[in-house]
Amino acid sequence: MSQISTPARRAAGIGRAALVHLTLGGYSLLVLFPIVLVLLNSFKTRQGIFDDPLGLPTALTLTLSGYAKVMGDAAMGHMFLNSAIVTGVALAAILLLGAMAAWGLTEYGFRGNRLLSLFLAFGIMVPIRLGSVAILQTMVALNLVNTLTALVLVYIAQGLPLAVMILSEFMHQVPQELKDAARCDGVGEYRIFFQVVLPLIRPAIATVAVFTMVPIWNDLWFPLILAPSEETQTITLGVQQFIGQYATDWNGVLAALSLAVLPILVLYALFSRQLIRGITAGAVK
Amino acid sequence: MKQKSGWHVLVFLAPAVLVYTAFSAWPLLATLRLSLYGTDDTGAVSFAGLANFHRLLFEDHWFGAFRNAMVNNLEFFAINSLVQNPIALLLAALLSLRGVRGATAYRTVLFLPTLLSVVIIGFTWQLILSPLWGVTEKLMTAIGLGDWFGPWLGQESTALTTVSLISVWQFVGIPMMLIYAALIAIPDEIVEAAAVEGAGPWRIFWQIRLPLILPTLGLVNILTFVGNFNAFDLIYAVKGALAGPNFSTDLLGTLFYRTFFGYQSEMGSATMGAALATLKILVILVGVGLYFFAIQRRLQRFAL
Amino acid sequence: MAQVELSKISKNYGSQPVLQDIDLRIGDGELVVLVGPSGCGKSTLLRMICGLEDISGGELRIDGVVVNDLPPMQRGIAMVFQSYALYPHMTVRGNMAFGLKIQGAGKAERDERVVAAAKALHIDHLLDRLPRELSGGQRQRVAIGRAIVRQPRLFLFDEPLSNLDAALRVKTRIELARLHRELAATMVYVTHDQVEAMTLGDRIVVMHAGRIQQAGTPLELYEHPANRFVASFIGSPTINVVSATVLSANPRRVGLELQGGAVIDVPADGSRLQLGARVEVGIRPEHLGVVAGHGSAQLANDCRFDGEVTLVEQLGESHLIYLRLPDGVELVARSAGHTKVRIGDRIALRAEVERLYLFDGAGVACRRLASDILAAA
Repeated sequence: MSQISTPARRAAGIGRAALVHLTLGGYSLLVLFPIVLVLLNSFKTRQGIFDDPLGLPTALTLTLSGYAKVMGDAAMGHMFLNSAIVTGVALAAILLLGAMAAWGLTEYGFRGNRLLSLFLAFGIMVPIRLGSVAILQTMVALNLVNTLTALVLVYIAQGLPLAVMILSEFMHQVPQELKDAARCDGVGEYRIFFQVVLPLIRPAIATVAVFTMVPIWNDLWFPLILAPSEETQTITLGVQQFIGQYATDWNGVLAALSLAVLPILVLYALFSRQLIRGITAGAVK
Repeated sequence: MKQKSGWHVLVFLAPAVLVYTAFSAWPLLATLRLSLYGTDDTGAVSFAGLANFHRLLFEDHWFGAFRNAMVNNLEFFAINSLVQNPIALLLAALLSLRGVRGATAYRTVLFLPTLLSVVIIGFTWQLILSPLWGVTEKLMTAIGLGDWFGPWLGQESTALTTVSLISVWQFVGIPMMLIYAALIAIPDEIVEAAAVEGAGPWRIFWQIRLPLILPTLGLVNILTFVGNFNAFDLIYAVKGALAGPNFSTDLLGTLFYRTFFGYQSEMGSATMGAALATLKILVILVGVGLYFFAIQRRLQRFAL
Repeated sequence: MAQVELSKISKNYGSQPVLQDIDLRIGDGELVVLVGPSGCGKSTLLRMICGLEDISGGELRIDGVVVNDLPPMQRGIAMVFQSYALYPHMTVRGNMAFGLKIQGAGKAERDERVVAAAKALHIDHLLDRLPRELSGGQRQRVAIGRAIVRQPRLFLFDEPLSNLDAALRVKTRIELARLHRELAATMVYVTHDQVEAMTLGDRIVVMHAGRIQQAGTPLELYEHPANRFVASFIGSPTINVVSATVLSANPRRVGLELQGGAVIDVPADGSRLQLGARVEVGIRPEHLGVVAGHGSAQLANDCRFDGEVTLVEQLGESHLIYLRLPDGVELVARSAGHTKVRIGDRIALRAEVERLYLFDGAGVACRRLASDILAAA
């Protein structure tokens, strides 16, 4: 019977590990490279950006002028606020209404339950954007064009199907005994929902929050179509216009990009573990 | 599990259903309906049956644009399917191996681009690939491929491919996560049993793990398909609504945008836009339907 | 078939020792059962023999060759997992043929071996079904079939019966014993169920907290447990334990005063014991019988306990009586048939002195020397 010697087996193991790290690490570099490049160069003068794009900012080229320009642009702060309002309100509504609907669908048997589920699920497959024509007409009719309200309403409609689906899955896992016990004690349905079930599906709510929040914050389409006025521009739309406007003002543009990336990076650094756990726990259904 | 119904059921369901119907379901139906109407030069709208579709499919001007967008979209989808998903599979497979140090860190990093705004991604890559700035050119020269560099985003022949690859770069994280979740759901004992029977890592991957994640791969393909045929943001951010050069990056999404809102000299037309949207819905439904019947049915989710 | 030798095997997770000082020899064709409470390390040891876990220290030899660094297949081992670990996407036939395919067997040979094994396990009518269409018992046979088909040198079983219901467990146990005899195979079997261990094993290895407490035949473990742990582990209901003080000790007899006051003379090797030391006396429930004379004076060398009955369990073919002694200690007695004893009765239980077990202050057993027990050892 042949025998692989200890060093050989260990070497094979190391070789394999090296390949794995090479691949993962290589792709990670590919991922980080553009972002780091932008961040680095946002601190350089125009000359520095051109002459030495790959290098770190030196004493000569280090500057904050780009940031000064961007942050001095008062409109940026306003747009940031718009994004925050729209995302925040829509998110809260999606979570609340979504949880309520998920509860209604999973807990109660009524005629058309299945049909209603399918109806909502349809929204995941057929993108809401395809109805933009009619949505705009509705907003015009309701006098909501160029309002943040229009955006909030649309984003709620956009986010509900996925939220309901994910939350339903988690609600299925709440032990029946808990609910039965509460009912035996005479607790009302609303109380059961708010005080028993909701706290139990907190991880799901966190997952849904991230999945929902990011597309809303980054969305370009609906702000462009429904609320392009200066008053109501979101940060994403704003940065897009800014870039268009200052196309050749490189360090201003890079500063704008860096500022736009920063909130997401920070949030992600704080919450990545929960997010990934949430995705891997409940997303594959 | 099921409780008796009562008023409270209505209270729980009504708000969500109302908003969804009003701003998602109904507008879709209304769009379908609107596509059957025509707009004449004065802007008046009247019932026109299938006239819009007739124009879209048979008038040279319209059909040319539509066909171009369709073909581009198919190419976009092809590149995503053939590049994004295999890469996602590879990364997920590597991440799910036991004992990879720093797996958590890798996962975190690799998922990052998905979270960034398309505007940022689009412009960043524009900068990087720009011949003016020269970053890419410098890098490629450094590894000896300097001759291969070109203004890819600006060339008709390469623009679409380049934009597709940028999209891959951004979105690889989502299929990667989904596949990863499916891979770690496979019970360890099954993989161990295969190892005890003498299966090496390759065999374990191809004959044990891959077959067990086929349903997820199917899901990933469908999501890619729907996402690709809905793509707009990236093209708009990188190339603008005109999707140049010479419409070579025009997708159904950008075509829809231009048709609906108009651009430069051409007036927008809500009814034609609606017709285009309807066609898009059809394309997506047909694509997904075909996929389900041809492929997904054969893939069963094996009880683990 | 194979002979397995473990020398000074140890296992650490980081700095945490999980297994220590494992020395064991398994003979060709032997069925050795690793038994012990959860967390004792038996499954880890099995996985180390298999090759699924690294060996931190010591040597593992199969047929004389050190296999510490060999992958499982090259050790000639087949393993049956607790959850069966069948490949969900392959039919029964596919599951059983998978290993053969890897070994390079041709289609004809594979089919032949698979069908033969399937017939032996009575699953030949299920060959084209998927695992999810099978019952628990059927899946388990497929798992066993998958192992048999490869004709390994060594079979490993990781708690294969724990997922089955009670009736099926008994039935399958008998079949496994039959299989062992037919194949004359070397098997290492892990379970937490001591009844399984006693009935299946040629030898039993009792493990606790990462160490081997004792290895021996079932009867050896029953009559001569090495320590209090083994004595408590083997036998159901668990052995009764009462405290005692040493009055006299020599290599042949130990004089004790039991905690209830009775003075007895036990035939055991007391050479290690000190006068006045506190020791423990073990009495198996099946050795305690009801006698008359509750409340009467203690006779010399009469191991008798007076107390009040707190519970009676009638099982039909036997019954259990729970007796509470005046100092609060509770004894369990088991006898055949029915009983008229009722809760609240004041009765006396008596055990023959020759049947007692003796453990020193550290729990180590003093060897029992009664003549018939010696013969059984």
